[in-house]
Amino acid sequence: MDEKRSSRRCIKAMSALLAVCLVSLSAAAAESYQPPRLASGKPDFNGVWQVLNNANYNIEPHGGQAAMALREGPVVPVPAKEVLALGAVGAVPAGLGVVEGGKIPYQPAALIQRDKNRQNWLTSDPEIKCYLPGIPRATYMPHPFQIFHNDEALFFSYQYANAVRNIYLTDPGPAPIDSWMGLSWASWDDDTLVIKSSGYNDRTWLDRAGNFHSDVLKVTERFTRTSDHTIYYEATLEDEKVYTKPWKISMPLYKRVGADDRIQQFNCVEYVEELMYGHLRKTPLEK
Amino acid sequence: MTYFFKLLGFLVLALPAVAEDYAAPRMPWGDPDLQGVWTHAYLTALERQALFPSLTISEDQARNVERMGADLLANIDKLPEGDLVKGDVGGYNSVWMDPGKKMLRIDGKARTSLIIEPENGRLPYTAEGGKKSREVYMKARARNNPEQLMLGDRCMVGFGSTGGPPMLGVLYNNNYQFVQTPGYVMILVEMNHSVRTIRLKGERLPADIKPWLGDSVGHWEGDTLVVETTQFHPQKLFRAAIAHRFMSTTDTKVVERFTRTGAAAIHYEYTVEDASIYSQPWSAETIFRPSEGPIYEYACHEGNYSLPGILGGQREKERIEKSEG
Repeated sequence: MDEKRSSRRCIKAMSALLAVCLVSLSAAAAESYQPPRLASGKPDFNGVWQVLNNANYNIEPHGGQAAMALREGPVVPVPAKEVLALGAVGAVPAGLGVVEGGKIPYQPAALIQRDKNRQNWLTSDPEIKCYLPGIPRATYMPHPFQIFHNDEALFFSYQYANAVRNIYLTDPGPAPIDSWMGLSWASWDDDTLVIKSSGYNDRTWLDRAGNFHSDVLKVTERFTRTSDHTIYYEATLEDEKVYTKPWKISMPLYKRVGADDRIQQFNCVEYVEELMYGHLRKTPLEK
Repeated sequence: MTYFFKLLGFLVLALPAVAEDYAAPRMPWGDPDLQGVWTHAYLTALERQALFPSLTISEDQARNVERMGADLLANIDKLPEGDLVKGDVGGYNSVWMDPGKKMLRIDGKARTSLIIEPENGRLPYTAEGGKKSREVYMKARARNNPEQLMLGDRCMVGFGSTGGPPMLGVLYNNNYQFVQTPGYVMILVEMNHSVRTIRLKGERLPADIKPWLGDSVGHWEGDTLVVETTQFHPQKLFRAAIAHRFMSTTDTKVVERFTRTGAAAIHYEYTVEDASIYSQPWSAETIFRPSEGPIYEYACHEGNYSLPGILGGQREKERIEKSEG
């Protein structure tokens, strides 16, 4: 009798232990990664981050090509004369694209505009003149950005063009005026940082391939830390003037570590003065 | 003069006392909290003007200066009827200006200059340094090449020394946002969205890298943030603004000290050292106080109609002179 009772007790204890084990296992699976946290317990996004893709050439899937600006060749398109001297440095590497579903759902007139933009890339891409990049393009420019984050402040400092975003921690209401970098505010969806932004002007592009938006653009970005060195980044773009429906891009962001954990200055205004104002010199240089 | 020294001695002694009485709020990792949006817009200029006899003036005199400042702004909007005077299309009206309405007051006394050392409140240029600063300024007025114009006109950084360091007032946009993280103090300069990323206890950049705002490395001395900056961009020479202007070179060394002295005050003092143009280091001080609102985007280069206007106007003038001459 005693033996039976003790064995029953033993089975009970074992199943209880097993249950505990199973519960903790499934919890571990759900929260496989625990990010560093701020004093409040929210995930900490401090650091210097950068993409390792080439979405800035074209956020849609694209094959490689000899240059961004091409002209008709006798057999295949060849680099336009303005960029010919760059050789392989000016060539475009292929990219898988970052658009969910592959294609941006343009309205018909907008698609025509996109193709015109692409045709006139050299004179129309705001990046060529070192203009502020807008969102989401700032995220996947070929430059790092630094996030300054604590419970009272969230600030993005981009290497390209010294672009900045101060992210409000409560809803600031509608933007008082349109701007290049928009008006952004943060909220949390569990451990995911959600940044909603609007108040953009219609002058920034989404990449070098002429993909664009209008001044009614609304962007919802989601930042989720997936390891000590990665963030999973998603952005949903809504723009009723340009797209038929909201659409999404996603990509990993990588943390720069060690000696690379720095952004440098790329003010870039000084690099376009000859391009923009060279013709107004007292003695213009030979073109 | 004895009185002046006594007064200066009193001020020097009085400042740390204020700081000691006040316990600055802390960031979660223990650093004093300097965060927020701050401004240092005052009518007090960097250098003391000849009409002021000493570092401080009476409250009555200060209010007079403030009234004159307000009148000056109001008069800008009073344009004459009819056509504008030939050759003068005017500039901003007062709605665009925000140079400060009050004189700087430290310990309740109105200041006539930000400079406290040398005692005369003037920049201690050597003869050679003074000559150089005039030459650089005159070159910018020649309007021959974009690279020779003022950095503010080029939208490279803000006007004058708004981004500094040291950070000085300009005609408008005198607001700064401070954000701190472990290892960093970030200062957003409103004009031209310049960012000062101050690395705490960091190593200097290699000598070949010379950013527009220099290379800043900081550390805490007690509750004071001390920031040392040098390696300025070689084109950052004359920092021209209306009330605050001075010359610097690539090798100018700036040491800034930020101390939170109250809920609504950061005491900001700095020393500028450059034996190639100044006969001695000079020091100045001011107070950052809370700004009235958030900072919005200041996009400069994207709408820079002035630079092609300045250069194109000069070319047109030359064309007319040639055809007339």
